[in-house]
Amino acid sequence: MAWATALIDGNNFYASCEAALDPSLIGRPLVVLSNNDGCIVARSAEARALGIAMGTPYFQVRRELERLGVVVRSSNYALYADMSQRLMLTLEPWVEELEIYSIDEAFGRLRRPAGTGAGAADTGADLTAWGQALRAQVRRHLGLPVAVGIGPSKLLAKVANKLAKQNRAHGGVFDLGAVADPDPWLAAVAIEDVWGIGRKLSRWCRLRGVANALQLRDMASGELRAKAGVVGLRLQQELRGHSCLPLVAVPPAKRETCVSRSFSEPVRELPQLREAIATYLSRAAEKLRRQGQRTDTITVFVRSSPFNGTSFYANAATATLPLASNDTAVLLAAALPLAERLFRPHKPLQKAGVLLQNLQPLQQLQHHLLTPLPPEQQQRREALLATIDGLNRRYGRGTVQWAACGLRPAWAMKRQQLSRAATTRLSDIPVVQA
Amino acid sequence: MPAQSPPEPQPFPRPLRQCRIGLLLPLAGESVAAGFPSPADDYIETGIDLNEQLIARPSSTFFLRVSGDSMVEAGIHHGDLLIVDRSVEPRPGRIVVAVLEGAFTLKRLVLHRGRLRLEAAHPGYPPLALGEGDDTLLWGVAIHVIHPL
Repeated sequence: MAWATALIDGNNFYASCEAALDPSLIGRPLVVLSNNDGCIVARSAEARALGIAMGTPYFQVRRELERLGVVVRSSNYALYADMSQRLMLTLEPWVEELEIYSIDEAFGRLRRPAGTGAGAADTGADLTAWGQALRAQVRRHLGLPVAVGIGPSKLLAKVANKLAKQNRAHGGVFDLGAVADPDPWLAAVAIEDVWGIGRKLSRWCRLRGVANALQLRDMASGELRAKAGVVGLRLQQELRGHSCLPLVAVPPAKRETCVSRSFSEPVRELPQLREAIATYLSRAAEKLRRQGQRTDTITVFVRSSPFNGTSFYANAATATLPLASNDTAVLLAAALPLAERLFRPHKPLQKAGVLLQNLQPLQQLQHHLLTPLPPEQQQRREALLATIDGLNRRYGRGTVQWAACGLRPAWAMKRQQLSRAATTRLSDIPVVQA
Repeated sequence: MPAQSPPEPQPFPRPLRQCRIGLLLPLAGESVAAGFPSPADDYIETGIDLNEQLIARPSSTFFLRVSGDSMVEAGIHHGDLLIVDRSVEPRPGRIVVAVLEGAFTLKRLVLHRGRLRLEAAHPGYPPLALGEGDDTLLWGVAIHVIHPL
């Protein structure tokens, strides 16, 4: 019995999440826009069929979308994150080990039972039926379509997933480990589409006549090693079916966290910049508290629009705290003066952000003799922050916030077509007609 | 690029050099309970968790708000909070959320003379037959209703 790796990912994930909670969207062309309603980042199958390209700037095609009757939505991260969590929970029991790779994809490891072939000829049982059952369950429980690719290694699972989607006859599931001859399938995958092969490396491969996954698998290892080192060799090993990229079941603790956004319109006044920085910092501090971490290094960065001709301005400033903290008030007191230092009156800003580094676990400080406050006060402070986080989780972000964040910010992200937080906020849940 | 001046004002933590020793080294003792452990410790209950009672499968459970009175005789009123589990199989007899003409509809799934149909729990609403190949989608099964009194 051998191990198999599966890559399960959501088809048109953002668009599918929108339709999962809003039945009026089922079967209709739908696109989802990036931050600030900038570009098209997801398309329903129906929108794809209309030939709408990924990454198209919204303003360019706005009229055309209206004419075609395409539904447009701003990114609704609350919804996508919740549906992602549900997806991962649903996948978990299907595999022995699950690596959550991104918001809409996960690697799973499972045993491949012995097949019907005898002895050395036995390649193991076909897992296509397993994939179909998994796919049907996700569809029924969450209303989300997924594709399942299965192979002896992560890279081959990724390739199989691509083939599952490329070929309609596969019905969204493809097991590369069960086919008698994988070569023609590998030949169908262009070198640019091989996971881990960047633009530079794919160009180098093309120059050597290596145009697809099959040719990459069979090219001379020495040549590949000279160019791409151990990383390249590993990819080749994976293509040959030798698993050498292990699953990362527990992601390593984050060493830094960053919150940054572009503004809906250029920020020209210091009070606005302060509000924006305060808002991003509050988010970042909340993240730290949720992860049970503190920081002692705060960086604020700003930049103007790069399309503004000669007046491009980008700058950053860092402050260090004597003692690591995750208290929003403490971090604000350090970050706001940085915003002031970075602000230039005649440089309209397009984007700003906050970066928290040197993150440390809470325990590391708990037994510190040099605590910033007497323990009783410290406890009350922590209780206050926990209460604020609880209120914001329960009643929606911004229920309780620091005054520094401003009330009706003019710079806030543009999300004019935002759908409701249909799975996470009681006031936003869908209505059922009785 | 590091900042040259330390940020201020700083309510807490105070920079170490400004702190008095007494603040830096809190005496242990205030919060240490001496004596025997409480005999009640063994009997701590965690309280009643309604999530646990009402939601068997969080990943496939969704909340919907009821609008209308067609299910009144099944005890489901306008404005009620409906808990729907999509993993439950929609068998005849169950109250289901169906998708009809792009909207969620709440009705009872009934087997009538060998055919499935959706019935209201109110005399004023006619039943709706489910044809084969009908694009009516059975979206989920209602498992609880929360009704304020």
